Amino acid sequence: MKIKSQAALEFLTTYAWAFIVITITIGALYYFGILDFSKYLPQKCIFPSQLKCLDFSLLPSEVRLKLVNNLGEDIQIQSISITNDATIPISCTANATPISWIHATQKDFAFRTCTGGAYLPKERVELTVSMDYFAVNTPSKPIHKINGKINGKVTT
Amino acid sequence: MAKSRLSGKCLPESAAGSRIAQASMEYLLVVALTFAIMVPAAYLFYNYSKESGQEITDAQATKIGRNIVDTSETIFYSGKGSKTVIELNVPDNIVAAQIIDGREFVLNISTIFGVSELVFFSAVNMTTDSSKCNINRCAIPGLGDAGLKKVKIEAIDKNSVNISAV
Repeated sequence: MKIKSQAALEFLTTYAWAFIVITITIGALYYFGILDFSKYLPQKCIFPSQLKCLDFSLLPSEVRLKLVNNLGEDIQIQSISITNDATIPISCTANATPISWIHATQKDFAFRTCTGGAYLPKERVELTVSMDYFAVNTPSKPIHKINGKINGKVTT
Repeated sequence: MAKSRLSGKCLPESAAGSRIAQASMEYLLVVALTFAIMVPAAYLFYNYSKESGQEITDAQATKIGRNIVDTSETIFYSGKGSKTVIELNVPDNIVAAQIIDGREFVLNISTIFGVSELVFFSAVNMTTDSSKCNINRCAIPGLGDAGLKKVKIEAIDKNSVNISAV
């Protein structure tokens, strides 16, 4: 009985050490970003097809977007903003609003002097763009909200 | 002398132990390699499918919206009394549907980055049951739940079409 318990204890001691070593190794890999697989994801800009995202660029301290108005109506953008999930979210200066936007045309948007939100060169970022607009020809001009997402790497 | 578990031959204790250790090591390496491939692949495919799911929901909602507006226009121009029932498969990301000012058919879709509104503009005046209207906004509650829905579109008079989930 005594030999059996010793064997069991030795087994546990050996594997506990192995477990600790593996945990520390995985922790170190995670800390140094080796286990951050999100950097292997494709860079994407996702918007509803009604305001489809054609292109984007993440410059240092500036985010640029090219959207197309597929709504089939002329609209006026009342506000446009950008944010992310960081503890201190990204803060940028957006285009001056209101912006008139004729149907079936493209428009470039720029968010300048971006600060915070871990928006740093060479870093992978996920940004949420929100837009409020109304259709010019609708009598009561109800405001509609549309959200999009940019997932990409900030260039240097 | 000990009998090796691998070959069944009698080998010295150290040689048998060495072979078992090698087998264990090979086993661990195979498992580690499998995990090293599986974990990143699972993560990448999960994220890719999440984004693809978003695009699929958008396509489904756009199809539903365009179908309702196009059918409303067809029924309106067919004249008073015309009606049809269309079957729509509503995805679970659609949280609400409403008509605004009689010309905007709005679908609220829930996305991974917030609720967005998809707006479809009609050339004809759309309406629904007056009990579900508040000033210029009329809700269509039946279209806010997921599943196969039947939508009745009827030209109730010469000025408008009535849209209701049945």
